[in-house]
Amino acid sequence: MMVYLVLVTSIAILLIGYVMAMSSKELVRLLISLELMFGAVFLALMPLFTVQNLITSAFGIAVLTIFTSGGELMILIAAMVTFSKKFHSFSTDDVTAGGEL
Amino acid sequence: MDTVSLALIAMCCFAVLTAFAALFTKDTFYSALFMSVTLLTIAGMYALNNIQPVFVLIAFIFVGAIGAVTVALAAMYRDTRPKLQIDFIWFLPAIITFAIVFNSIFGFESAPSVFSSSAVSAFVEEYAVLALFFFALAILLMLAVVKFVRREGV
Repeated sequence: MMVYLVLVTSIAILLIGYVMAMSSKELVRLLISLELMFGAVFLALMPLFTVQNLITSAFGIAVLTIFTSGGELMILIAAMVTFSKKFHSFSTDDVTAGGEL
Repeated sequence: MDTVSLALIAMCCFAVLTAFAALFTKDTFYSALFMSVTLLTIAGMYALNNIQPVFVLIAFIFVGAIGAVTVALAAMYRDTRPKLQIDFIWFLPAIITFAIVFNSIFGFESAPSVFSSSAVSAFVEEYAVLALFFFALAILLMLAVVKFVRREGV
């Protein structure tokens, strides 16, 4: 029962992040929504730790996920700061398709 | 129902509530703070189930580094006239997706849950003071940031 509760919570947080990403008008909010989605992914990994044979693999997946997502978000933050310096704006309306400047 | 299960239910509810608060708050700065609280609650769920290494990774690497930078960015680029940024039309596909996934999760045969009930007692006995200091430190850092932003009136 607890495993199901964790999974349902994870899905709920993921969808809240999804709604936030789709309706955000600022890049900071987009970053926050991505972090919420990664948080949901971390939570979804938790049931793997309940299977005795999978604990080591689960820990490996967790470490990989945390460091990969952390690196990805740091790159996004760097891109946002560069965007802000160039356009003096944090609005998603100023972001053009395909990353064109 | 034992204490660990009750604590896990409470933490799940709290995580969803703080995620909703991050979505519905007008101010981006407070949205970032609520997001940090959500991630710390998720890390706390790992600690509750005696999976301390993942708790440390999420709390100190993810929230401590990325979350803190996000809060700092939100404070720096804070909008003086914050407004609600929700497009309610996106709630419809989100609710439909939630219903489908919820139905799939509970449609399976019930699997045994083997979360250890001794996790809390073992953790509390060995690391109570350490955990207390970590949470106190996190709260102090958040309060310092809030005070700084309010004083500067950004």
